[in-house]
Amino acid sequence: MPEFSHSDYLAILLSLKISLVATFISLPLGFTVAYLMTFKRFKGKVALDVLVNLPLTLPPVVIGYLLLLMLGQNGWLGKWVLQPLGIKLIFTWKAAVIATAVVGFPLMVRSIRTNMEMIDRRLIQVSRTLGASRFDGIFTIIIPLSLRGIIAGSILMFARGLGEFGATIIVAGNIPGVTQTIPLAIYEYVSSPKGDSLAMALCSVSIAISVIVLVFYEWFGRKMIKRK
Amino acid sequence: MKNVIRGIFFVLFIFLFFTTAVKASDINVSAAASLREVITTLSANYSKIHPDVSFKNNFAASGALAKQIENGAPADIFFSANVEWMNHLKDKGLLDKKNITTLAYNTLVFVGKPNPNIKAMQDIVMFEKIAIGSPKSVPAGQYATEAIKKAGIEKQIAGKLVMAKDVRECLMYADRGEVNGAFVYRTDAEQLAKNVKILFSVPQEYCPRVTYPVALTVVGSKKAEAESFYKYLQSSEAKEIILKYGFMVK
Repeated sequence: MPEFSHSDYLAILLSLKISLVATFISLPLGFTVAYLMTFKRFKGKVALDVLVNLPLTLPPVVIGYLLLLMLGQNGWLGKWVLQPLGIKLIFTWKAAVIATAVVGFPLMVRSIRTNMEMIDRRLIQVSRTLGASRFDGIFTIIIPLSLRGIIAGSILMFARGLGEFGATIIVAGNIPGVTQTIPLAIYEYVSSPKGDSLAMALCSVSIAISVIVLVFYEWFGRKMIKRK
Repeated sequence: MKNVIRGIFFVLFIFLFFTTAVKASDINVSAAASLREVITTLSANYSKIHPDVSFKNNFAASGALAKQIENGAPADIFFSANVEWMNHLKDKGLLDKKNITTLAYNTLVFVGKPNPNIKAMQDIVMFEKIAIGSPKSVPAGQYATEAIKKAGIEKQIAGKLVMAKDVRECLMYADRGEVNGAFVYRTDAEQLAKNVKILFSVPQEYCPRVTYPVALTVVGSKKAEAESFYKYLQSSEAKEIILKYGFMVK
């Protein structure tokens, strides 16, 4: 069994951390977008739909590159907004969070939306006639009834985030112990003639985490069906 | 509908079976990323003299190339940016031992935005982000890591090193301003840097001379064209081109 170095352990922790943070910050936004797409009619709905789902089909490298052009030292957001505020994102773990969030976002929205569409709209209408405000409706009807989609979407997004490579390596770089996640560490070992055994060891860790997450996802799905 | 499906299958069939066959006189070159321009010119010149020979040039980090060759990638000639990966393949018995020689030399430099305060290795500790090639496979990164260790600044810059997949990516990071500086070769900096300048050369006490060995692989030694190109590399005409690109030959 090959010995993991300190930075390899950090890579495992960092992968979990980045994916977890990306999932949590996407939750409110993902819920809002799913809500708008399900219950509202507005101009540009199709455009929003395409925009949200675009990361699903675009190569992650494209997303990474566009983020780099936007947030980088010479990017419009980087130069005019982030720099005056003293915020540096590129080549920090925060950039990895942003990349992971963008790439995994459509999975979360889709999952929540499918669940929201199954909600009986009359329930909401009835609640309104009984004097509940729009927010009451969201918190007492929509959130509880789409909870399954919210949790399932979060798990899916978290799992997708663990595998994020293309966008991450471009915007977060590959800094051992700082932005190097499991896929990035594997990538480094894979291109080294002496790295085979460690690459395999990290692959096993990666597979183990994925299996745990997916088993949990299945178990959760079954439990929810039973409850119904 | 049936016709459409049939059409699609027909096109697929064409794509699969009528791709151009590999010519016998193809030379597969695997070369260190920093040699991209000079090898492209050398192979183009050679093709001018020998029109029936065509080249397939593959550029990447020397370590990555060594690994590809080790795993059976087609390569007739291998150019490395350090001796280590050349020896690695030699030890595995993949190189033709009679045909290994040194092609050129280079120097490791540090590039960044013009800054009069940065003159030596010890000055770079003030920076936030520095790009180096991943020392697991990129020779420029291996030389840089060694220099950083010898200069005694390893601890101060831990966590600041962005690992690039090859030396050219290193230069790109610096040129775009995403890092404060980068360790690259003199030739990369002189030919390709737009926004950054060489701030200092890494002194010899910290870094051995950057050496580019070249060798015929066992596969390549059986190809007359590959052997002939290998000989051409040692001609005075080839040396002139190598010098023109800023490398040293002695």
